[in-house]
Amino acid sequence: MSEYAFRKIDIDALDEDVILPSDLYDPDPRGPDGVLSDAKSKSAEVRNLISRGDTVGALSTILTEPPYGEGVDEAKDLTTTALLLILNSTRSTEIPAIVKELSPEQQDHLMAYLYKGMAALGQGTDVSGSVLLTWHEKLTEVAGVGCIVRVMTDRRTL
Amino acid sequence: MLTLRSAPASPQSNTLRPYLNAVRATLTASLTLENFSSQVVERHNKPEVETHTSPEVLLHPLVVSRNESERVLIEPSVNSIRISIAIKQADEIEKILCHKFTRFMMMRAEGFVILRRKPLPGYDISFLITNFHSESMLKHKLVDFIIQFMEDVDKEISEMKLSLNARARIVAESYLSTFA
Amino acid sequence: MGNTEVAVCANSNEAQIYARVGDAWELQHTLAEHDKLITAISWAPQSNRIVTCSQDRNAYVWTPTENGWKPALVLLRINRAATCVKWSPKEDKFAVGSGARTIAVCSFDEENNWWVSKHIKKPLRSTVLSIDWHPNNVLLAAGAADAKAYVFSAFIKGVDSKPEPTVWGDRLPFGTICGEFSSPSGGWVHDVAFSPSGDVLGFVAHDSSLNVVYPSGPGAPPTAYISVKLTSLPFLNLAFTSETQLIAAGHDCQPIVFTGSSSGWALSHSLDDPTSSSSRPLTPHGTGSRVPSGGVGRLGNNEAFNMFKAADSKQLDS
Repeated sequence: MSEYAFRKIDIDALDEDVILPSDLYDPDPRGPDGVLSDAKSKSAEVRNLISRGDTVGALSTILTEPPYGEGVDEAKDLTTTALLLILNSTRSTEIPAIVKELSPEQQDHLMAYLYKGMAALGQGTDVSGSVLLTWHEKLTEVAGVGCIVRVMTDRRTL
Repeated sequence: MLTLRSAPASPQSNTLRPYLNAVRATLTASLTLENFSSQVVERHNKPEVETHTSPEVLLHPLVVSRNESERVLIEPSVNSIRISIAIKQADEIEKILCHKFTRFMMMRAEGFVILRRKPLPGYDISFLITNFHSESMLKHKLVDFIIQFMEDVDKEISEMKLSLNARARIVAESYLSTFA
Repeated sequence: MGNTEVAVCANSNEAQIYARVGDAWELQHTLAEHDKLITAISWAPQSNRIVTCSQDRNAYVWTPTENGWKPALVLLRINRAATCVKWSPKEDKFAVGSGARTIAVCSFDEENNWWVSKHIKKPLRSTVLSIDWHPNNVLLAAGAADAKAYVFSAFIKGVDSKPEPTVWGDRLPFGTICGEFSSPSGGWVHDVAFSPSGDVLGFVAHDSSLNVVYPSGPGAPPTAYISVKLTSLPFLNLAFTSETQLIAAGHDCQPIVFTGSSSGWALSHSLDDPTSSSSRPLTPHGTGSRVPSGGVGRLGNNEAFNMFKAADSKQLDS
C-alpha cells in the first residue's frame, strides 16, 4: 500500500505562503521570563489592593498587559487566579460602577477572562457560574457586543 | 407532582436569565457572517468552521456556562458558526430522555434547517448556521430560536420525566389493584 | 450617467441595471455571464464601462452597445474566487482582489485587444477582502483576512506617467509596499478607503474597530494611528466624505458618521437610528440588535410548536 501514502500528504501545509496560527499575532516583547515575573508581582499587588478594598485598582492592575500567547502557562494561571479572586470578592451591586472605570482595552481583557472562566467551570476552579454570568451581563451592558466580538477575533489567547 | 406541570411558565430561576442573556449576546456577536469562498479548494464555498483549513478565518471559540453540566460552545468563523449545547441531565432517566429527544430531532435535521446531524463530542446537540441561513432568515429570529430551544428543552425533558413517572404509577396501581 | 442608472446584484450570478423613470426604478438590462455569485461591481462614470467579478474566478468588462452591454473576459490568471474590484480614478486600470492571496491589477492591451493583469503577491497571505485607489491613480490600498491593511504601488509602465511624490513614498515601482497596518484586535479588514486627498487611510475591521492612519513619510512610522473601538457590531464599509468626516456601516444595519482629525476620531451620529422616534426608520426591521428585542425571547406559541406539544400529550390521554 506504500505507493498510496502520498495521497495522505497535506500538500497545503507545504505551501510556503500558508499562514500559520502563530503568524497571526506578535509574541509578547517581554519574553516568557519577564512575563512571569510581571505576573507574580501583579498578583501580589492585587492581593494587597483587595485587602484594602480597592477593587477598581486591583482589577485595572491585573488587566493591564496580561500574559498572552504560547509558553507562559504559569503566568497565565497566576493572573487568572488573581482575577477570579477579585471577581469573587466583589458585591454584585458594585459591578456596574467598577466596569465603567475600566478602559476599553481592559474591558476586552476582562471579557476574555470571563469566557475563560466559564470554559473552565467544574475543572477545579472555585468560582461559580452565577458570579461570572453576573459580571458578563453587567460588562455587556457597558461595553456592548463589540467587546465580545473582540474577544473572538483576538488571537492573543489570555 | 402533576399540578406543577400545568402551572404557567414560572418566573425564571435566578441564574437562568443571565445565562440565556449571555448566550444571546454571544450569539449576536458571532452571527456576523458573510459569503466567503474557500481559499483552499477552487470554486468551493464551505462552512469554514467545519473544514478547519484556514486558521485566519476561524475565530476564538467561546463557552458560556451556568454550571458544570449546562454549557454552550460557540465556534465562530467568517461564514459559519457552530453552536453546541450541553443539556442538564440530573439522573439516569433524564440522560435517557435527553438522548432520545435529541436523537429524534437530529434524525429529522433537514426539517430544522440549522440543526447539525451529529453533536460535537461532549455536547448533546449542535447547530450549524452558515451565511446562507443568515441571508435568508432574520438574524434575531435565529438567535430567538436557539434561546427558545434552550429554554424549552429543559422544560420538555422534565415534563417527559413527570409523565413517565405518572405512567409508571398508573401501571403499578392497576397492576397491584388486582391483588387488593 | 447623471445619477439615473444603478447596477445591482441580488446575491446571485446576475447583475441588473436599473434606470430611474419618474419616481420608480425600472429594470433595463441583465448582465448574465458569470456562473457563480457576483462579488463586486464597479462602474466607471466617465468612460461608461462596468466591471464585474465573481466567485467563479473571472471578471468581465462590460461596454454598452446598441444591443445592450457586451462582456469582455479579463485574463485574471487567478485560481480562487475574485472578491472585490474597483476602477482606478482615471479609469484606465482596475484592480481585482482575490482568494488566491493575490491582487490582479488589470490594464488594456491595445495590441491584442484584451485586458491583461499583473499580480501583486507578496506579502499577501490570505484572502483580499477590499481594495481602494489613491486619487493619484497609482497607489492601491487593500484589506485582507489576515487582519492587515496594506498600501501598494500599482504603477504600470506605459499606462501611468511618473506620479508626484506623496506621503506614501516617491519611488514607486510596481508592487512596492508603502504601508502595512494591523487591526488592533486581529479582526479581518473588511474595507479600506483613502481620504479625498489620499494622505489618510481609513479601514474597518471585524474586531468592531475603525482605524485611521496618518502616514508621515516613506519608511517612517505614521504620525498618528487612531483606533476607535466600538461597542456595536463590526462595520463592513466605510467612505470618506471629507478629510474630517467619514461614514461607516455594517452588521448594525445603520450608517454611522464619524468626525475627527489626526488628533482623534469619534462617533458623531447615526443616520438611521431605529431608537430615535423623530425620523421614520429607513430599515423597517433592524436585524442588528443594538436594542435587545424584548429580553430573553420567546417566539410565541406558533402552530407547529403547538402541534408538536399536542402530539406529545395525545399518547398520554389514550
